Amino acid sequence: MVEKASVLYLGLCCINYFLISLLLFPKSLFPQVMMMSDIAKDPVAHSRKKRGSVSSLSSHEFQRREIHGRTKDSMSTVSYMDEPSQRDDVSRLTVQMENTYQLGPPKHFPVVTVNHILKDVLTNYLQEEEYEPELCRQMTKTITEVIKAQVKDLVIPRYKFIVIVHIGQLNTQSILIASRCLWDPKSDAFSSYVFRNASLFALANVYAVYLE
Amino acid sequence: MRSLLRAWVALPFSLPVGFNAEEAHNIVKDCVDGVLGGEDYNHNNINQWTASIVEQSLTHLVKLGKAYKYIVTCAVVQKSAYGFHTASSCFWDTTADGTCTVRWENRTMNCVVNVFAIAIVL
Repeated sequence: MVEKASVLYLGLCCINYFLISLLLFPKSLFPQVMMMSDIAKDPVAHSRKKRGSVSSLSSHEFQRREIHGRTKDSMSTVSYMDEPSQRDDVSRLTVQMENTYQLGPPKHFPVVTVNHILKDVLTNYLQEEEYEPELCRQMTKTITEVIKAQVKDLVIPRYKFIVIVHIGQLNTQSILIASRCLWDPKSDAFSSYVFRNASLFALANVYAVYLE
Repeated sequence: MRSLLRAWVALPFSLPVGFNAEEAHNIVKDCVDGVLGGEDYNHNNINQWTASIVEQSLTHLVKLGKAYKYIVTCAVVQKSAYGFHTASSCFWDTTADGTCTVRWENRTMNCVVNVFAIAIVL
């Protein structure tokens, strides 16, 4: 019993001696601190040295460097945590859908129907209109919304639509509008209509893309 | 564990985490500069020019290697006292799909290029 107590007392003395030495001789740790700032780029060595210095209580100066070192240390740990959370973000952003086992669209995009829709909308809105900048600006936006709503009403599942409308003044100028698409021609399609009257022309395009 | 598995399955293909409009903007702008830069409006060449702008933009976009379907529209107008309006409306998934518009002009003509990118869910 006494021997155990003595061993314990010896151990405590050793620890005390260590702490006292750190308190009295903080300068002995300074070379370590200098090396820390030099090897800051090496995170492993940095963290190892950091662990060594955290255990000490010390002078004001050393504490400042310690805090500075700590921020460096915290930066390196955050970079490790980023990877799993990045994966979570990615899987959260994309909607995970189950397999449908469908090879193609069950209902294809009805090009002819949409052609008629475009013709009706453009004719109704623009038959008697004259070209005016303000009016046509509003008209383009309205017509795209109307066409989009009407195409959505057709309820064609798994299709995404893009509606583009160009309205221009009929003049002696020349204009060329071209488009090219990279898609699957078996499932995707587009529909187009040009309307002309005395003072203006209008071109409406609807692109339908199947969601695979 | 399941989320890790999903991520592992998806990672070999580049997942659509939103369309990078800036990258597309730069690509298209370079294409247009290359084709139309320093040219004057010429009715004979206009077909060729629009075709090459659209084709080059599309090939460069495909080289990005992302899982997207692309629609590239190009309108070239002669500069005159005319009026011209364009509008577009899209029904799609706003998190994954995106669009980019490039307006370019010189002394004799205006060029508007639209790029629409629709994500393919693999």
